[in-house]
Amino acid sequence: MNTNDTQYTFVFAFIICVTSAVMLSSISEGFRHQRELNEELDVKKNILKAVVLKEPITPKMKAGDVLEIYNSKIEELVVDKEGDVVVGQTPQQLKGKDNDLFVLYTYREDGQVMAYAFPITGQGLWSALYGYLALEADATTIRGITFYKHGETPGLGGEIEKEWFQNNFKGKTIYSVKEHRLTPTVVVKGKAADQLSGEALSYHVDGITAATITGNGVTELLNYWITVYNHYLERIRKG
Amino acid sequence: MAEALFSSKNQKILKDGMWDTNPITFQILGICSALAVTTQLKAAIIMSLGLTFVTAGSNVVISIIRNYIPPQIRIIVQLTVVSALVISIDQALRAYMFDVSKQLSVFVGLIITNCIVMGRLEAFAMGNPPWKSFLDGLANGVGYSAILIAIGAIREILGSGKLWGIPVIPELLYTQGYVNNGMMVLAPGAFFLLGIMVWIQRSISGYKENS
Repeated sequence: MNTNDTQYTFVFAFIICVTSAVMLSSISEGFRHQRELNEELDVKKNILKAVVLKEPITPKMKAGDVLEIYNSKIEELVVDKEGDVVVGQTPQQLKGKDNDLFVLYTYREDGQVMAYAFPITGQGLWSALYGYLALEADATTIRGITFYKHGETPGLGGEIEKEWFQNNFKGKTIYSVKEHRLTPTVVVKGKAADQLSGEALSYHVDGITAATITGNGVTELLNYWITVYNHYLERIRKG
Repeated sequence: MAEALFSSKNQKILKDGMWDTNPITFQILGICSALAVTTQLKAAIIMSLGLTFVTAGSNVVISIIRNYIPPQIRIIVQLTVVSALVISIDQALRAYMFDVSKQLSVFVGLIITNCIVMGRLEAFAMGNPPWKSFLDGLANGVGYSAILIAIGAIREILGSGKLWGIPVIPELLYTQGYVNNGMMVLAPGAFFLLGIMVWIQRSISGYKENS
């Protein structure tokens, strides 16, 4: 057999491609159900993390327990761009559809609203960033933020998934009551306290060294999503 | 004339990969991942398992079809086989070890570009029968794993005062002013450790630079 033959080379390449493609798609399909369960659980865990539960979930908790906490404390709402709650729509129905409806989560403790949370997505340096932003019941102060899916460089942009970065956001305000304007949080280059003072510090956070573009991405996506949800948040602020 | 499964020749293949021509300390391959995933023991072990599986598996597959692979496209064929195996592992991790897969993030995918895998395919599997190739892949994987796990353990102890996530440095030392070595968490710490490992391994195995 002449393995140098051009025709043979093409046929061989074709067979290899088809074999691997069939193998990979069957593996992917075979694991799909389990994978989706995991991803859904991970999303719910992140919502619970963002809203900062009174009794936080622990990594050792069983999936069933996490789901039970989620179902009992978190209410899923759908709002439109004017800030009206759309009745009869569930977040599951919105999936993959491009429309002007948005998902909003409320966290209640004994009937009392503790936090509002919504998904945030945007572009980092290499990849799309996915996360949740949670606000206190005043719809002004950030209660928590998480990023649960991204493809940024570990150790650089990947630091956005770390506690130290996410903790910087806690207590920052997205709305200036004095000036009646939105102040979406800005990720600065370097340390915020070295460059700014006074009120500006309430909406600037420390950046990640060697990950300026990822930081800018976070700034942009916060600006975008806070503006999108502002109609709804405005109503809460007014009471 | 069937050769015994663990004939002296085959034992040499095993010993070479694990010790005499260890992929990290002798061939200086796979350094990227040795620096990147060794901040914690757990990540290092999982990466080691993944790489050992991929090296052994792809060595066998390539060895089986070695006589049919057109020479002009052999690298692409090798890469396809390696990628297919790596993606399978990634999918399995996502389905059954989700937390681990999140922690390893892009590194699982990066096994594809690990020089050890391609190196063994080119240097060994293309010219040897499947069983020998399997042993070679396994041995090199184990050789890589040993170094990775050693570095991972040292870095986790010195860098975070933990081993497998459990604190091992007594609280007393911290109150006496002991602090974790921050450099061990970063890549330079791994570089120094790796250098020391190469030095130790080479002086024991009697490595000589050819001139």
